[in-house]
Amino acid sequence: MTSLSPTADRNPFAAALERLPFLPALLILVVLVVLNGWFEPNSLSYRAITGLVSTYLALMMLAIAQTYVVMAGDIDLSVGATLSLVNVVVIVLMERWGGGGGMVLLACFVGILTGLACGLINGLVVAALRLQAIVATFATSIFFTGVALYVLPVAGTPAPAAFWRTYGGRILEIPFVFWVVAALALLLVLLVRTRLTLQLLAVGDDAQGAFQSGLPVAAIRIKGYVLCGLFAALAALCITGDTASGDPLVGGKMTLYSVAAVVLGGSALSGGKGTVVGSLVGALIIGLINSLVFFVGTPSEWQNLVQGLAILIALMAGVFVGRRVGQ
Amino acid sequence: MTELLIRGARKAYGATLALRRGDFDLKGGEVHVLIGSNGSGKSTLCKIVAGSVKPDAGEVVLNGAPVTIAGPQASRALGIGIFYQELSLAARRTVAENILLPELPATGGLFVNRRELDERAARYIAEFADVAGDGFSADTPVLNLRADQRQLVEIMKALASEAPILIFDEPTSALDRAQVDRFFEILKRLKGEGRAIVFISHRMDEIFAIGDRVTVIRDGETVATSNIAETDPSTVIRQMVGDQGELVAAAAAPAAAPGEARIALQVDRLGGQGFTEISFRVARGEILGFGGLHGQGQSSVLRALFGAASHDAGSVTLDGKPYKAASPRDAIAHGVAYVSGDRSRDGVVQGRPILENVTPIHFLRNRIGLVRPSALKDKADGPLKALKTKFQTIDHPINSLSGGNQQKIVIARWLIDRPDVLLLDDPTKGIDLQAKSDLFALIRQLAAEGMGIVLYSSEDAELLANADRILVFNSGSVTRELRGDERTRYNLYHAAYEAA
Repeated sequence: MTSLSPTADRNPFAAALERLPFLPALLILVVLVVLNGWFEPNSLSYRAITGLVSTYLALMMLAIAQTYVVMAGDIDLSVGATLSLVNVVVIVLMERWGGGGGMVLLACFVGILTGLACGLINGLVVAALRLQAIVATFATSIFFTGVALYVLPVAGTPAPAAFWRTYGGRILEIPFVFWVVAALALLLVLLVRTRLTLQLLAVGDDAQGAFQSGLPVAAIRIKGYVLCGLFAALAALCITGDTASGDPLVGGKMTLYSVAAVVLGGSALSGGKGTVVGSLVGALIIGLINSLVFFVGTPSEWQNLVQGLAILIALMAGVFVGRRVGQ
Repeated sequence: MTELLIRGARKAYGATLALRRGDFDLKGGEVHVLIGSNGSGKSTLCKIVAGSVKPDAGEVVLNGAPVTIAGPQASRALGIGIFYQELSLAARRTVAENILLPELPATGGLFVNRRELDERAARYIAEFADVAGDGFSADTPVLNLRADQRQLVEIMKALASEAPILIFDEPTSALDRAQVDRFFEILKRLKGEGRAIVFISHRMDEIFAIGDRVTVIRDGETVATSNIAETDPSTVIRQMVGDQGELVAAAAAPAAAPGEARIALQVDRLGGQGFTEISFRVARGEILGFGGLHGQGQSSVLRALFGAASHDAGSVTLDGKPYKAASPRDAIAHGVAYVSGDRSRDGVVQGRPILENVTPIHFLRNRIGLVRPSALKDKADGPLKALKTKFQTIDHPINSLSGGNQQKIVIARWLIDRPDVLLLDDPTKGIDLQAKSDLFALIRQLAAEGMGIVLYSSEDAELLANADRILVFNSGSVTRELRGDERTRYNLYHAAYEAA
């Protein structure tokens, strides 16, 4: 949104940055990988990377979820609560129905439906009732947390072995989480090509213009929230696999991490500009910062402070690189 | 053959009546021109047909059957395509995506069909390929285009609707000659195909070059429809002006000729974004009016003088001394005041008490850091009384006041420490008649006390009644100066519409 000059005299980097706004984030990611390797060579081992991915896959999913609403200029502060709700629903159902393979799959399916329903509620509240997204989804987040606490009042019910063994296991010698990443990549490639993605971005760019062009703006925004609910549910399945237990408050603090990941990935919270790949990279940046803080040997009482500073620095670096290249 | 009839369309926004009675008929195979002065209701009439504005009353009859247009989608489904004056483009999307945004071609209703998108967009881009200029291609984001190129994209978007009825609301305001010529060729071809076209423009020459019929709209009412062949520019302007065309404005003549009086502000060949070669002088005691159509550079000049926008050519002297405001802060320190009609953006400190809204300039000009509220209240009291501002107590938030009273507060803040020059940028937007007359009485009094005042107003009547001289702006430069008996509505429109 910075340059208004005609394209003719613009440098190729600026054009590339326009198409791929996550390039600065990618650069930061590379720097972080190098730093991690420097302080703890083992962190670049196959095992360690598998561990990193299985821990942060949930945040990656949640960042993707957030991206689809941010594209349209909206925000969803209930993604974390949605994640918690799906987590406890899945855990409780698996416990009730027994840990058999078919039942586990069915519970996951119900979990995804729960996520979709949460997204639909948010979409209706924000786009149909036209309440301010930031406050409305804050309110629904409290509501979803309340439902989650009703479903499972205290954390602790374990997931059946069939579930977490699969998540932490291997298929054809390749860790399960990498299969998930591959499937996710395929899904994202397909989603990028959908008409909905383009419409969400157009709405985020200028909602009034989109309305006057005859786009069904409310329906498009609702679909964005439903997609967000879907990915929040997938994130819940990942976290259930990673922690192997139910916790009605597990997602609360992840909400703003997802927003941070989206912004780190080069998306604009005002809408119209955003890529899911960027948000994925943003989530990985947050993950790598956390592990770097650990590898550097920060005393535990300083970890939050250092982590916060590191995220700030990453944000500034992203803005700085973007501006420099954009000129 | 397509036929669209509008009968008695009416639309009010709050207390403002945008359209009183719109009657309009459109036939296939014609270019029907709609003309009227600032705020006469042209765009509202178009938006009613396009479905983006719901009328309060009236009916729309399409091909003999009454229809209700529920929204933009419904309008498109009925076969109506529109070019929006304020454009409806997604800035970060590409040219091709914008052209087909309303009906993105999709495979299986799900995935964007890029090939079809590119092919269909290419057809419309090709029509303007040789006149669009540098840096214009199907995959350029609209954000990187010049104003004229964006307007071309909006034209292509309207054309891509392939609708039997096409509405163009000021499609040519940023285009150059070659682009306009190309656009007119296309319009003629579409007309030949039997499409019905509504065309709005402020350029008389264009209207007579392309129009078949012309409907004049005045104060929200359609007053006359005639065949272009049977009318001429002067007649059209007379119809736009109505009965009051020959009346000389009522403003008091300046106390002394500007040559003798002390010049407060002198501007020489000022140029910047949206204006060029602007020269004028304002004497102390004089109200100089800026007139013409909306957005011809009047606001830009005022904002540049106040340091809120930059200028890159020309010079300004204030009381005989060279003056160049780097920022509004700088301008205020030099005794230049600016009041904008856009109160919420430029004036009011939302949610804060009236007192705080009256005193910021006082703080700035006297470099005050701390102050006793009671002393401040005494200072604020005088200007507020002079303006007949109605409020409960000075500690109430400014939002508790009506628009007119809010604007009085914004003006009052300049009166504690009197400026030498007062720049008024359409100051009466959205305020009631009583407040307006209070405001202009005060402005006249300030002038009489020796202030130099520049008044831009988009309401022609207001300008004619209050300005001692009027500079008429067109496309960023001054095309005519109206003094004394020349200050008639007819002359004002004549100059603004460039009627030969």
